[in-house]
Amino acid sequence: MVRRKLGLHFPLWIAAACLSVGICLLIVMQARADVPRQETEAYCLSCHSNPDLQMTLPSGEILPLYVSPDKLKESIHSPLGIECQACHTEIKTYPHPENTYETRRDLSRAYYESCKKCHSSIYEKAQDSIHAQVAAEHPESPVCTDCHGSHYVGKPDEPRTLISSTCSTCHDSIYQDYKHSIHGSALIDEDNPDVPVCTDCHGVHNIQDPRTDQFHIDTPEMCANCHADSELMSKYGLPSDVYNLYELSWHGVDVSVYKARWPTIWHDSAVCTDCHGTHNILPSDNPESMVNPDNLLATCQRCHPGVSSNWTDAWTGHNEISIERTPWLYYIDVFYASFTPVVLWVAGIYVFLQILRATIERVRRSLR
Amino acid sequence: MSEQMEKNAVQKSAVQTHKMFMRFNLGQRWEHMLLLISFTVLLLTGLPQKYRAATWSQQILSTPERVELIQTIHHIFAVVLILEVIYHLGKAIILMARRRLPGDIFVSWQDIRDAGQMVAYLLFLRKEKPIFGKYSFEEKVTYWFIFIGIGIMLVSGIILWFPEVVTRVLSGGVIPAAKLAHSTEAVVAGIFIVLWHFYHVHLQRLNLSIFNGSISEDDMKTYHALEYEQLMAGQAGKSGEEQP
Repeated sequence: MVRRKLGLHFPLWIAAACLSVGICLLIVMQARADVPRQETEAYCLSCHSNPDLQMTLPSGEILPLYVSPDKLKESIHSPLGIECQACHTEIKTYPHPENTYETRRDLSRAYYESCKKCHSSIYEKAQDSIHAQVAAEHPESPVCTDCHGSHYVGKPDEPRTLISSTCSTCHDSIYQDYKHSIHGSALIDEDNPDVPVCTDCHGVHNIQDPRTDQFHIDTPEMCANCHADSELMSKYGLPSDVYNLYELSWHGVDVSVYKARWPTIWHDSAVCTDCHGTHNILPSDNPESMVNPDNLLATCQRCHPGVSSNWTDAWTGHNEISIERTPWLYYIDVFYASFTPVVLWVAGIYVFLQILRATIERVRRSLR
Repeated sequence: MSEQMEKNAVQKSAVQTHKMFMRFNLGQRWEHMLLLISFTVLLLTGLPQKYRAATWSQQILSTPERVELIQTIHHIFAVVLILEVIYHLGKAIILMARRRLPGDIFVSWQDIRDAGQMVAYLLFLRKEKPIFGKYSFEEKVTYWFIFIGIGIMLVSGIILWFPEVVTRVLSGGVIPAAKLAHSTEAVVAGIFIVLWHFYHVHLQRLNLSIFNGSISEDDMKTYHALEYEQLMAGQAGKSGEEQP
């Protein structure tokens, strides 16, 4: 009876199993539609490889829709199988959904969010940057794609000069200063691998406002990253004790106290860049250098207005005490180096002898 | 000088009489008081500035306002010390002009001989201590050490206070030199006072004459025997005519 019943329903069971497998497959395929597939690129390029393809946005701007297949092949993403739909998630087939972007900038600011899907930690870092902080007021402030490109993403530091030229897109006047500086000219003319590019000082994704107290007070340590590295400095015949000697100087002590205690309170004591310049740093023998002997007084007067030409000799920050450079300091140092131990030892021994003699005298008297 | 002559401070006790001698007049006592206060405050407000990189200093100078405050206090007491120095030197000049400057504090060959004999005594090469006049060579060392030290502190301190003005005349190199001199001399003077002066006036015996002005006959005989002899001899000769 039971067996018969089962036999009767057997085809129904098969049908149910087939149905559930089918539903599962449907769900899986639905899910897989979100994952980029090799076929999307070729499918999209069948239209978008046409150089004349473009559309007009509601703002009146022309939006070119051409994507170069050759350049795309050389980009980072495409050869790795990360194709159009990875970023253009809402476009699944043709016809595309209705365009909702008013301007090209709206479109960029919306699409760069796609980067977050894979590069979430870098995306988060970028959200702390000055660029992200000002984005509400300045929509032109850069998002990922402005620096890295959108379709043709390559290695951002190959060649190394690319970093500075990328920043120069917006910060051109600073780039012009930098280009002529010792760092910039060595980078651009000699392809020097040691000199700092923009990001070495400003950071990469979490670029901070360099006008803050914190940035000012952190500057000496930042420069020391390279300029206190004796191996690196010896390569260029530069002294590597400049930072240590600066830390002992009037400015340096002040700065180190502010750094330790009050990093968020502005202090005027000079850090490296206040005297050497920021982007326009030049070696001191260059006549345009802020620390060239001819320009030094003007540099000091930026903070010490009205001081006379004698003033510049007061700066000893980067030099050991020497008879040629700092004779006053040298003689005072020699005097105290000998006077202090002599006076204190003589006084100490004399008082010790007095205590000794007085004690013995007292003991003698009590024994008598 | 009459004010430095002996002073009869006879105790009203019928049992014992203590003869007291005038050692420092009121002006000198006030000078010492001003010096003591300004020296201490200057040292206490100077040291945290010298050791600004140290944690203990940063605990005291915990805000930029405190740094400013401590510098202001330092400057105020520097002015007090400068006024005291002007008074001291001015008085010396006036006394000198009147040919009435007592020469006791000036260093003489006798002090060198005293020092030699004292060292010999301390090394058990001599049985007796040398005898001293109004100021022993130890006291003269104290006075002149402080005298020269204050000179260095004032000159270097003024350079540090008004560097822009000073470098109109002098090389800029004097500023770091003054900074080194000011901060080193301060510490040397501080240690020297504790070591030398404190021993002689606190440990050797409690000598309060700079505060109350007078010294007992016993102390006169022990520590200023020469002065005592001279006073006694002078008094015998003049038979106390000058006393009012």
